Amino acid sequence: MSKSYQKNELDSIIKIDEQKCKGCDTCTAFCPADAIDGAYGAVHKIDSSRCLQCGQCLINCPFGAIDDTVDAVDLVMSKLKDGKTTVVATIAPAVRVALGEEFGMEPGKLVTEQMYGALKEAGFKIMDVNFAADNTIMEEGTELVHKIQKYVLGMDSHEELGPLPQFTSCCPAWVRYMELYSPTLRKHLSSAKSPQGMAGPVAKIYGASEIWKVAPESIFCVGIYPCTAKKMEASRPEFTAAADYWKKRGHTATYQDTDVVLTTRDLARLLKKLNIDITNVKPAEEKDNPLAEYTGAGTIFGATGGVMEAALRTAYFVLTGEELSQLKYEPVRGLKEVKKADVPIKLKNSGKEITLKVAVVHGTKNVEPLLEEVKDGKSPYHFIEVMNCPGGCVNGGGQPINPMGTSWTGKFKAFLPW
Amino acid sequence: MQYDYKEKEVKINRREFLGFIGVLTAAIWSGLYAVTDVFVDRTKYIKMRTAGLYQDDEKQAARQSHKNKSLMNMYKSLNFSPTSPLAEELFHTHYIDRSVL
Repeated sequence: MSKSYQKNELDSIIKIDEQKCKGCDTCTAFCPADAIDGAYGAVHKIDSSRCLQCGQCLINCPFGAIDDTVDAVDLVMSKLKDGKTTVVATIAPAVRVALGEEFGMEPGKLVTEQMYGALKEAGFKIMDVNFAADNTIMEEGTELVHKIQKYVLGMDSHEELGPLPQFTSCCPAWVRYMELYSPTLRKHLSSAKSPQGMAGPVAKIYGASEIWKVAPESIFCVGIYPCTAKKMEASRPEFTAAADYWKKRGHTATYQDTDVVLTTRDLARLLKKLNIDITNVKPAEEKDNPLAEYTGAGTIFGATGGVMEAALRTAYFVLTGEELSQLKYEPVRGLKEVKKADVPIKLKNSGKEITLKVAVVHGTKNVEPLLEEVKDGKSPYHFIEVMNCPGGCVNGGGQPINPMGTSWTGKFKAFLPW
Repeated sequence: MQYDYKEKEVKINRREFLGFIGVLTAAIWSGLYAVTDVFVDRTKYIKMRTAGLYQDDEKQAARQSHKNKSLMNMYKSLNFSPTSPLAEELFHTHYIDRSVL
């Protein structure tokens, strides 16, 4: 076990292939945690105890020299074949706008129905992580509202609540960054689990008893994420809520809430092994599947500012008693490193007006100044969203690589002699 | 008249010359590469994927999490609500200090 990991947690997911590394130093510029050692020109190496497992180095390596070493594709295929297992695919928002790229479609093509169709053909039951994202907003948003009522409005609360500002906890690389580099501030993280953390218990408790009507032990929950750090998050020893729930009700088995994680790239590889091509698969809508119902708020979780926008849509309603007249909230959208916004809120009972101050950060390195403010007790914010990958999960470390030339060598291949 | 012009001695040896040319080439190439930033938007695919998600948002009949009927049914059928004790047990967690592991 490497330092900075708990027992049984996956470490060293991302590795540099010594044979292929040219020492070009591109990766160190993309690493949010200074976890890559190696001088310019020398073979580079990842220090797993510092690494966030985010995979940004992997998707940006111009030589394809960095690998994701945790491969569950064959295991999932054997579970699909064995006939006794209910294999549930839980699919994250950002997968549906990138999976097409692995099958020759243009980046950003929305392929939800084709993806459902392909997964059903492969033998999966479907649960959409967008449902769990809505679930996250209900939990994380309610937590935020309670904190505002306690700390801003001075209302009584018997709940155990963390301090403000509240940071989002959806991004496993960011959570690991906080736990590793600013552990004294970890109470500021929302206690709500990430959508992956919620999807597992929902599938193995509600899904098992109400939707698929099978024994919870027979469910094999496959998380499909645009993310390599989700592989690490799924292995957290705390994430056994479903098994703990059933143990109190006479069951004995122990298992993780999400059994294995596939990245978008892994899923494409699995579908290709099964000869399923999403460009000519029968699309499926999943209208009758409650666990595939989701709202627009759930789906924008995959982009920077999306969790904030989704949370505001619900928090505004809870605090003011009215729906937002304009749902699209521009100030938190776009690729600026740190986005800040003031949201005026007129409280529903007292009519009192407060200003909700929020910030959105992507690229974990950009969060340091905000953490400093919190450390000094000077942070003006109530709620801060952090996503590790630039642009959010759509550009996650598990997404298809280099759809249109992030790799600079690709551009010169046409006239290079080798 | 005697022709006494003498060529200046070269003060640079072969190795230095090669080094100089190398540095110059690197500078020109990286300069050219930097110039391509003006024409090539290296975040274009991120913007296209993001646009795909916003398109999905606008397609949905309900666009706020509290309007997800199946989610509300789940809370109802298991008889609990957000941040209640059962929600704490299933959907909330704690974080650890990894710097001391």
